[in-house]
Amino acid sequence: MKKQMKWTAAAMAAVMAFSLTACSGGTDSGSTSQASGTAETSSGEKVTIKFANYALLEDAYTEFWEGVKTGFEAENPDITIEWVTAPYADIVSTVTTMAGGGDKVDMIFGEGTWTSSLVDSGLIIPVTDVLSQEYLDGFYENSLEASMVDGEIYTLPMYMSPFILYYNTDILQKAGVESVPTTYDELLAACEKISGMTTEDGNAIYPFGQTTASVAISGSAINSMIFNFGGEVLTADGQLSIDNDGFKQTFEMLKQLDEKGYTPENCKLKDLRNLFALGQLAMYYDQSWGISGVENINPDILSVTASANPLAGGSGEGASLLSTQTLFYCDNGDANRAACAKLTEYLMSDEVLGDYLNNIVPGYPTLKTMSMPDNPVLQGSLGSIDKAVAAPSVPAMNDLNLELCTLAQAVTVTGTDVDTAIEEFRTAATNIIG
Amino acid sequence: MAFSAAKNIRRGRTLTQRQGDTIFSVLLILPTILVTTVFILVPVVDSVIQSFLDYKMKNIISGKPGTWNNFENYIKLFTNSKLGPAILQTFLFCLIVVVAQFILGMALALVLNSNIKCARFFRSIMMTPWCVPTVISALIWMWIFQPQYGLMRYIVSVVTFGQVTDLAMLNSPSTALLGIAIAALWKQVPLSTLLLLAGLQNVPGEIQEAATMDGASARVCFFRITLPYMKSVIKVVLSMAIIENFKQFPLIWTMTGGGPNNATTTLAVLSYREAFVSNNLGSGAAVTTVWMLLMIVVVVVYNKFMGDNETT
Amino acid sequence: MKSVKAAKRLSAFIRYFVLIVILLMLLFPLYWVVLTSFKTNMEAYAYPPTFIAQNPSIQAYINLFTENAEFFVYYKNNLIVSGATAILTTLLAVLGGYVLSRFHYKWNSLVAAILYASQMFPVVSRMISLYGLMGKVHLLNTRTGLTLALLGAMVPFTTMLMSSFFDSIPRDIEEAAIIDGCTRPQVLTRVVLPLVKPGLLSVGIYSFLMTWDDYLHCATLIQSDALRTLSTGIALRYLGELSYDWSLVNTISVVAMLPMILLFFFFQKYMVKGLVAGAVKG
Repeated sequence: MKKQMKWTAAAMAAVMAFSLTACSGGTDSGSTSQASGTAETSSGEKVTIKFANYALLEDAYTEFWEGVKTGFEAENPDITIEWVTAPYADIVSTVTTMAGGGDKVDMIFGEGTWTSSLVDSGLIIPVTDVLSQEYLDGFYENSLEASMVDGEIYTLPMYMSPFILYYNTDILQKAGVESVPTTYDELLAACEKISGMTTEDGNAIYPFGQTTASVAISGSAINSMIFNFGGEVLTADGQLSIDNDGFKQTFEMLKQLDEKGYTPENCKLKDLRNLFALGQLAMYYDQSWGISGVENINPDILSVTASANPLAGGSGEGASLLSTQTLFYCDNGDANRAACAKLTEYLMSDEVLGDYLNNIVPGYPTLKTMSMPDNPVLQGSLGSIDKAVAAPSVPAMNDLNLELCTLAQAVTVTGTDVDTAIEEFRTAATNIIG
Repeated sequence: MAFSAAKNIRRGRTLTQRQGDTIFSVLLILPTILVTTVFILVPVVDSVIQSFLDYKMKNIISGKPGTWNNFENYIKLFTNSKLGPAILQTFLFCLIVVVAQFILGMALALVLNSNIKCARFFRSIMMTPWCVPTVISALIWMWIFQPQYGLMRYIVSVVTFGQVTDLAMLNSPSTALLGIAIAALWKQVPLSTLLLLAGLQNVPGEIQEAATMDGASARVCFFRITLPYMKSVIKVVLSMAIIENFKQFPLIWTMTGGGPNNATTTLAVLSYREAFVSNNLGSGAAVTTVWMLLMIVVVVVYNKFMGDNETT
Repeated sequence: MKSVKAAKRLSAFIRYFVLIVILLMLLFPLYWVVLTSFKTNMEAYAYPPTFIAQNPSIQAYINLFTENAEFFVYYKNNLIVSGATAILTTLLAVLGGYVLSRFHYKWNSLVAAILYASQMFPVVSRMISLYGLMGKVHLLNTRTGLTLALLGAMVPFTTMLMSSFFDSIPRDIEEAAIIDGCTRPQVLTRVVLPLVKPGLLSVGIYSFLMTWDDYLHCATLIQSDALRTLSTGIALRYLGELSYDWSLVNTISVVAMLPMILLFFFFQKYMVKGLVAGAVKG
């Protein structure tokens, strides 16, 4: 092995040198095979829908989606659903790399925030290629707005949620907080009362939780908080716009909350759900469906859980970010598209989705014909949906969200001052958006 | 010596025999070369090529080849502020783990090599963490470091007599890298110990005894005789550790994903993120290319440092 | 005389102290995992933690065996993939290693250098190209494709390991066999192979253990849950974004690492020999 060590450097250098010559010499790159698509299927033949779905890997959702497959296949014996799974954070790269290998999925279950980058990658097709305009007319306006790129609807919103404030009624009562905070000032006052309390087995109770760990969804949560303060990250046409009070106030608030020890640091949403489920967190921001994660850990906590509209801060009026859970479509020929349309209509029916929203994943319907959820936990925040706005999206939304997390971490765990951190963010964000 | 033996064999054989041998050996080694070329060399060359191209996920999907973009991937990489810290994190991580691994491994090997009771038994059970898959070891340590109810929080608060009660190893930029390093050490120390122990056992007892007879103290004996004698083993142990930790990925990715505040974003994490999260394959490839160049530098410097006196 | 005794006692004390501290560091985390797997989730979340399960529960194991059938699918896949990779790797390593050890052509050291350098390239840098390659030959999302990719990753090191085993076989035996009229292939299969049996075993087990550890290859090349191997399957399925189930995660860890540990202890003699031979004599 000794001898080889000497050779190694030479060999590696040779590989690099060779690459360089190959590179300058020709245009042949790491091209991959052309997407072959699935075989054309004429009507009457069997169609297989490849459905990429991360939720299948989440315990709380698995049963529902398996039920969809069984129910739909029973109704449509000539269509089969084939699952393609990857975890939440990896599903986009999974379907894109698959497409690169010539294997396109037909449908993807995901988030509205993915739309831009999926459009940019050329993987998905407009929803109007799959479903009729009349059908789309049945959806709420703001849910469709959240699904548009350049005026074209690229994803079908299944259900939606703003980031709402969950709170533990029991803790608030014991702390003597009489009414649920509606502004950030009231939040700080409430936090002061709660701070120092412990659970029965002696664990500290955190007054407030906001996710800042490096996953894209945390970026959306921070974005929502910026909306709370009446600020913005991007202009409507996707330009970086961070020189507004709301933006800065958001991070000053995060810093303040962290310095006073009111929030657990660098948490993912699931960490917050875990703490909340164990009664160690009094209030936190989450999407409506986050509560199923809480329930998974400790169902008993639901009896003391309630929700409230997002807080208002600065000159903001309590707007929040509208998140949608959506369906994306890819083009694998007419037969597959028709099958996707059938599956969509089946999924969006009252019996299937209505049941899902009421019993499994609390969320707000996007179809006007569907009634608002009767989930008791959500009653306090029903009004929030009207004030929720869709964020303008850019292809690099994912990266931008991650940079927002980095900014939040800089002012909290690293302790950088807000102005410096925002300047660092500006450099990084300009690099991403260009 | 081996070489001259081979010469002797060759000399004693006819030309056809030699030719036959050549064909035979080429046939035997062909599958190995083929597999290595197809699965390692070609992809690596391909990746270096991509680093000079505007090559994104959409190229893969549409099947369009990437286009030359005048070193833009590199220009971007060097102008944004991520590369420097990533290089620093990579070297820091590598240094911590390699040094600590060597010290711990050597200490344990020395103890096991002294006439201690049940040395063989200890040697066996010591190896257990090495068999634990990396992802599982990441899970184990994430659980131990869990900020609210983790074991480490408790131990630290007991050891510091309640001074530090809120240790959140992986959530603080100043300790996250250390947390991952501990997990890496846990899995890697056993193997280095095993190899160093084998090296120690190769040191002839007479030499050491002779040294002690001469009145050399144990410490001098260790540094003057034992260590030099083990040079080749040490070299191997260190180079294995350097390579493994320089390219460590699953452990970091599972435990922190590069956070908090990019404190654990090593070159491995940065390239994976650029390529597979930001879907910019060209830019990710540029990171891996820089990474490989650094690897070459490390190997060259390491060889210089360890002295390349061939014994063959 | 007394001081010598005291010094001896002191050195013994230090030695046992070092031994105990390091062993504790290495082994206590394992105890902790096993312990947590027997706790209920609520007890696992208790702080300060309990060092002996208050209400030992095998519920997590029951859940694993009754509700998480896919876990055993990952298990089966991993056995198939790692097993196949181990066998193929050993085969290639024997052929290649024999040549490297026995014939000294000019290109030999070049081959060795390539093999050595190959171990250094970061896996991430290969994944995209590998993906395209597998796509072209329609081996994406198949166990065959994964096995081949892993084979590529394992062959360089194991070939060199194997060649060091061949180095330890005296040449005289082969020369004698050739004088007796054996052909080269016969020498290899009838004379040399039986002598390197321990080497075969350690190369096989080594590559089995190493492929059991794979994460990136499977994460990139496999999309269907039914084909995933253990590490990837666990990381992807049980670390969901929605919520944690630490009790289950710890149970899974125990069940996933147990066979590897047993395998190692069972074949310890060969493994230790192999690892030492590969590194020390290389």
